[in-house]
Amino acid sequence: MILLTIGTMLPFDRLVRAIDRWAGDHGDREVFAQIGDKGQYRPIHMRWAQLLGPQEFAGLVDRCELLIAHAGTGSFFLAAERMRPIVLFPRRASLGEHNTDHQVSTARWLLQKPGVYVAMAEDELPGAIAKALSHRSDVAARVPPFAPEAFIGRLREALLG
Amino acid sequence: MTRKVMAVASGGGHWLELCRIAPAFDGFEVAYVSVHPNYADQVAGHRFYAVRDVSRRDLWGLAVLVPQLVRIILRERPDVVITTGSFPALFALMLAKLLLRTRTIWIDSIANVETLSSSGSLARHVADVHLTQWPGLARHSGPAYWGAVL
Repeated sequence: MILLTIGTMLPFDRLVRAIDRWAGDHGDREVFAQIGDKGQYRPIHMRWAQLLGPQEFAGLVDRCELLIAHAGTGSFFLAAERMRPIVLFPRRASLGEHNTDHQVSTARWLLQKPGVYVAMAEDELPGAIAKALSHRSDVAARVPPFAPEAFIGRLREALLG
Repeated sequence: MTRKVMAVASGGGHWLELCRIAPAFDGFEVAYVSVHPNYADQVAGHRFYAVRDVSRRDLWGLAVLVPQLVRIILRERPDVVITTGSFPALFALMLAKLLLRTRTIWIDSIANVETLSSSGSLARHVADVHLTQWPGLARHSGPAYWGAVL
């Protein structure tokens, strides 16, 4: 199963529509989408829900072969902690999808990580998905669920300070 | 006496980044504050409060958020407030500083790779510890770089 999420805070119809189109073109693939409660577009070619609970969603990530997401760090952490490949598609401020273009920088940064693929525009999505599906074994190491100890230690000192 | 920590983050990545630093709170009394009631399960055993999520586009939401935060801060009376952002968390820091002169720690999200978030820039005025997770964004006058959640 391929899983799509656009995060929980803002609508992202451009990505939902693009993946729905992809699902229509790839009828043999099961796609499930969490589309949020703020968008207008309703998918036709894939099953969807507005918002799932965090545990339920994490369970879907465990079962998916690929996560497709907006370029939010939350989606990356969910995929990386579970060793799932991810295709990131950044939100654009110019299209009203976020208040800044920081997701473009996030996507460029995360692209260096194993198992991370990026599509900067809709027409790059099919290629990025195909690449992610054919390089599934590239997700080398599980990202641990907690921050590095040195950082934790300094924060702890600051909390005690 | 046990140190009382109020740990605040809005949804999605901000919340996951807060969860990634949770080992720093070991042995402290922690009250978590976020924007989705169903996050409570992830911090079972600790007090959890859900508040209104407010963006800069929805300033009316502040009329709901501010009284919610005031109530939580006065009930919890934390020794320190720590956050990984974003906009609603800035108000948690401001109000805790204003009401109780609480010690405050702002960690700008790791998502802000090239510039500090605008809430993160404003946080310098209310944060005793003001951090970026990117060495390139650190300045002598702040924010400082101590490491990152990844």
